[in-house]
Amino acid sequence: MTPPADSTVNHWIEDEQGFLVIYFSGEIDLHGSPHAREVILDCINQERNTVIDMSGITYIDSSGIASLVEGYQLAKNKQLEFGLINVSKSALSVLKLAHLDKVFPIHNSLNDRLQSS
Amino acid sequence: MENEDIKHAPDMPDDSQPEDQLALLAQMSQEFATSLDIDETLNNAIKQMMDYLEAEAGSIFLLENNDQELVCRACAGPIKLMGLRLGAEQGIVGRSVQDNRVQMVRNVANDPNFTAQVDEQTGFKTRSILCAPLAVKDVKIGAIELINKNSADGLFAVNDQHMLTALAALAALSIHNAAQAAALVEQERIQRELELAREIQANLLPASRGDDFPVHGLNLPMLEVSGDFYDFFVLDDGRIVFNLADVSGKGMNAALLMAKTSSLFHCLGKTINAPGQLLTLINNEICENTTRGMFVTLIGGIFDPESHSVTLANAGHHPPIIHHNGEFEEIETGEMPPLGIIPNLYFPDHHLQLDKDALYLYTDGVTEAQIDGEMLGEHGLQALITRHQDKPVAKRLNAIINSLQKDELSLHDDVTMMIIEGTDSPLLVQSFPAKSSVLKTIRKVMHEALHDTVCSAEQADAIVLAASEAAANIIQHAYADVPDGIIDLALHLHNNELTVVLRDYAGPIDISTVAPRALQDIRPGGLGTHFMQQLMDNLVYTVPEDGIGNRLTMRISLL
Repeated sequence: MTPPADSTVNHWIEDEQGFLVIYFSGEIDLHGSPHAREVILDCINQERNTVIDMSGITYIDSSGIASLVEGYQLAKNKQLEFGLINVSKSALSVLKLAHLDKVFPIHNSLNDRLQSS
Repeated sequence: MENEDIKHAPDMPDDSQPEDQLALLAQMSQEFATSLDIDETLNNAIKQMMDYLEAEAGSIFLLENNDQELVCRACAGPIKLMGLRLGAEQGIVGRSVQDNRVQMVRNVANDPNFTAQVDEQTGFKTRSILCAPLAVKDVKIGAIELINKNSADGLFAVNDQHMLTALAALAALSIHNAAQAAALVEQERIQRELELAREIQANLLPASRGDDFPVHGLNLPMLEVSGDFYDFFVLDDGRIVFNLADVSGKGMNAALLMAKTSSLFHCLGKTINAPGQLLTLINNEICENTTRGMFVTLIGGIFDPESHSVTLANAGHHPPIIHHNGEFEEIETGEMPPLGIIPNLYFPDHHLQLDKDALYLYTDGVTEAQIDGEMLGEHGLQALITRHQDKPVAKRLNAIINSLQKDELSLHDDVTMMIIEGTDSPLLVQSFPAKSSVLKTIRKVMHEALHDTVCSAEQADAIVLAASEAAANIIQHAYADVPDGIIDLALHLHNNELTVVLRDYAGPIDISTVAPRALQDIRPGGLGTHFMQQLMDNLVYTVPEDGIGNRLTMRISLL
């Protein structure tokens, strides 16, 4: 799954401790969010617990947040785990704007998440 | 019916038929009434009259050249007198005109006023003359003259005199009407040319460059054409060259000198960026060939919108005023004479810093406007400026000029005013194609524009997010079905309040498509407008002045 040539967002996926970890980098805006959405939904559709490492995301807007919401809802329907790790300060402030900081499970790292559950 | 002007009135039976006379007069009335070509009608009339009254020759003389001369405008008979010029009082025809009376001369040899000059030149032998004046009320027009009756005794009869008098009245009215019609046509032609001149002149004035441009001007001509002008244009380096001027006098001569001066400034101002030097050159050029006594007062200058610095030079114009923190200050610009009077002058440059101030340039038509019977004056103008100081510069200028046009008696001169303002120069004005791939660029240029302001990095992020969301809304919703949409983005900073304006050219938006949704309802979409409302102090959607598209104005106080 490769992003369009002029995409503002890139990604890679690691299989770590029973989770698919999606590492996004770049800017998830109206232009990049269709690609991000596709990547997220694809992982969950593989029936895998999924976390998104947000450390490489320098910008996220409402359409990027919407992609996360879709992933969260799909995972919930499938009774899979979904969460965010390494959320930068700026991304967190956008999540707070959307009042989603209390909805999504957010952890500093995958280990933190594993220890908390 | 004997009359003292009738010399040797013939005592003989009248053999002409009244029916014929009436028929002829009726026919001529008809011809005069329907005539499109007065010369041709006069020639026909004199020929018919000559034939009917059995004269050997006939002619019509009209006063011309300020009533100084009598000129033959129609003639019939063996001698061509067309174009012949006589003094206004010369000959029997002259006497008829001056006395406004019919002249019947049986034997010209006995008449002291008879001029033999024509006979001598042509070989024609004039014996008797019947001459009737052409006049409408007291306005003398000329005379109609018949020569040598073709009867046995060669004498004109009383009835001939009556007939010629009747014809003269008809002809006089007709000539008078034709002259008035011609004057009317001429007046209309001049009016059309004035309108054309006005249009050309209006085109010499610069078009407004929009609300965000720091220089605005307005000219209100008193007559069709104006002696005032102003101009501004942008140099390649972004600096703005401007001028405002008043040509002495009014009307067409002032308008022509206006066109010349304005063109010289516009052309030379593009290469000579030192106002004083520019005025020196233009002054020499105008001095070289301009009507004596005409001159131009002019302020020319350069404004740098980056540094807000102004350099200007003044040729005899009223000094500009600067409005600074509620105070007015007249700018010291020296006492140089107007352009066009003394050649080889050196006009010094003056420098000033505008910062958050406004500079007002105006012609005396502004301060001499009559408001409620009193001249506006400097203080009146300052009061007007203060009253409208909170309006954006273009609206303020309109409001000030509108206040001057209180009634028809307010203005006595052309009114011209220019405002240069450093405060509202935008942080950013840029247009973008409405594509999602351009959002990244929008955010980049906005961050750059906000970098030099007092706002924190967090606040800059928030403002950029709000603008990016607004642009995304335009792309997704306003231009949903339009491939080549454009987004205009502008950032203004005024008194620590930042305004972000996004404008599109799409159809009217359905506000519900961008309305924020309830946040409890966790689903994708509908978040963008909520973000904008959370991030900015206020949001207003309006329809732009030109009625096209949508404009979103978002404001926030910088921290």
